[in-house]
Amino acid sequence: MILDEYRENRQVFEKMEEIVRTQLEKCVADNNIYVNAIEARIKAEKSLAGKLELKGHKYKTLSDITDILGTRVITFYSEEVDKISALIDKIFEIDWDNSVDKRKALDLDRFGYMSLHFICRIPKSLYYDAEHPEINDFRFEIQMRTALQHVWATMYHDTGYKSGIEVPKEHLRNMNRLAGMLELADEQFSRIRKEINDYRRNVQSLVADGNFDEVPLDSDTFRSYLTMKPFKKLIDKIATINQAEVYEDNLMRYVTTLLKMNFRTLGDLQRLIKDCSDDAYKLALHQLSSTDLDILALSVALQNLCLVYIIKKGGGEVGLRMFYDAVFGQSAYNEERAHRTFEQISKINIK
Amino acid sequence: MEVKIEKIEDKTMVVLNGRLDTTNADKFQQDIAPLMQGDTPNIEIDCTDMEYTSSQGLRLFLMLQKSVTARKGNLVMRNMKPNVKEVFDITGFSNIIRII
Repeated sequence: MILDEYRENRQVFEKMEEIVRTQLEKCVADNNIYVNAIEARIKAEKSLAGKLELKGHKYKTLSDITDILGTRVITFYSEEVDKISALIDKIFEIDWDNSVDKRKALDLDRFGYMSLHFICRIPKSLYYDAEHPEINDFRFEIQMRTALQHVWATMYHDTGYKSGIEVPKEHLRNMNRLAGMLELADEQFSRIRKEINDYRRNVQSLVADGNFDEVPLDSDTFRSYLTMKPFKKLIDKIATINQAEVYEDNLMRYVTTLLKMNFRTLGDLQRLIKDCSDDAYKLALHQLSSTDLDILALSVALQNLCLVYIIKKGGGEVGLRMFYDAVFGQSAYNEERAHRTFEQISKINIK
Repeated sequence: MEVKIEKIEDKTMVVLNGRLDTTNADKFQQDIAPLMQGDTPNIEIDCTDMEYTSSQGLRLFLMLQKSVTARKGNLVMRNMKPNVKEVFDITGFSNIIRII
């Protein structure tokens, strides 16, 4: 009896679940694919009993049932389903005769359930236990779909209908319209991702070519700009004051502040460095020369550039306070910071 | 430098008292070694009675911050004296460690 076989082999399927889940997690991690979820479940006995009651005539043994172990990989983008399926083909043995691409099962003018279903076995090269050879015999299912496809499938399943034939026409039409809308949304997400990646490549190219005035300042362009180490010359000079080592901290937190200071392009940052480096160094010299502090963060360079820029533009102590609020968040201490910095800058002869 | 470490619910409270310089940096490193372990640490350092820190102290705080970040935790230093805050400001360490 199939149910007896199920009970006898429950632990085998638990081992299979562990193996398959581990392999799927490793696969996405090794290939830097960020997925929404990896799920796995062993069919409950009650569910199996229900299946056998409905379709028992189709199955002679437990081996005939391919979804005792069911796993699911939910991606963010539709192209990742294809990528993951290609990787799974290299890990497991695919039973192609019984695997289905339900994305292609629909006619061109129809919308509905979309998912890629692979029926697989665990190859001996991946895992073998002579005491349990059935681990390599039992088949299992891997479903691959996008998050939006998963939402639709889950809600459709929630209606309680097992196939489109059962669903009243009006509800079926609405469900399928929704499937069409989500398919369009999937396409749009993929298109937006491609456009963002194209933008980033274009930005890298503009930055590499030195066309800084043509490059607007944003997170992507600033990140690219930092690869050129634009503040190195200044921080190296500041470091000579006390023969300091430099710790390269993350400067990305300054993007928002720089935009608030009305820097609009990377060309503006280049001019900031050109026009304010000498005075930024003088400020650091005034602050550090009477100390023996021999470790500095890279951000000192950008910080001091901004501070002298604010004073040169007539921002005064208020401007310095606003700068510190932007960088560190509003705090009563920023007033004290601004006052101290203003006094220090007043003592150096900035041009 | 006297170091007191106390776990209160999900937070680790650290109280520092005294000067941190080259002469006692090694001892300080040993004292804070327990803070370098454990998952998702939530550490708050009370600097009310921290009189001074040298570069060596800054390096140790940096080591602690990197360890906390790697374990997806939080580190905050609070109630610093003005002279100590100034050290963190002029070295850029205020950009690295959250000070409140």
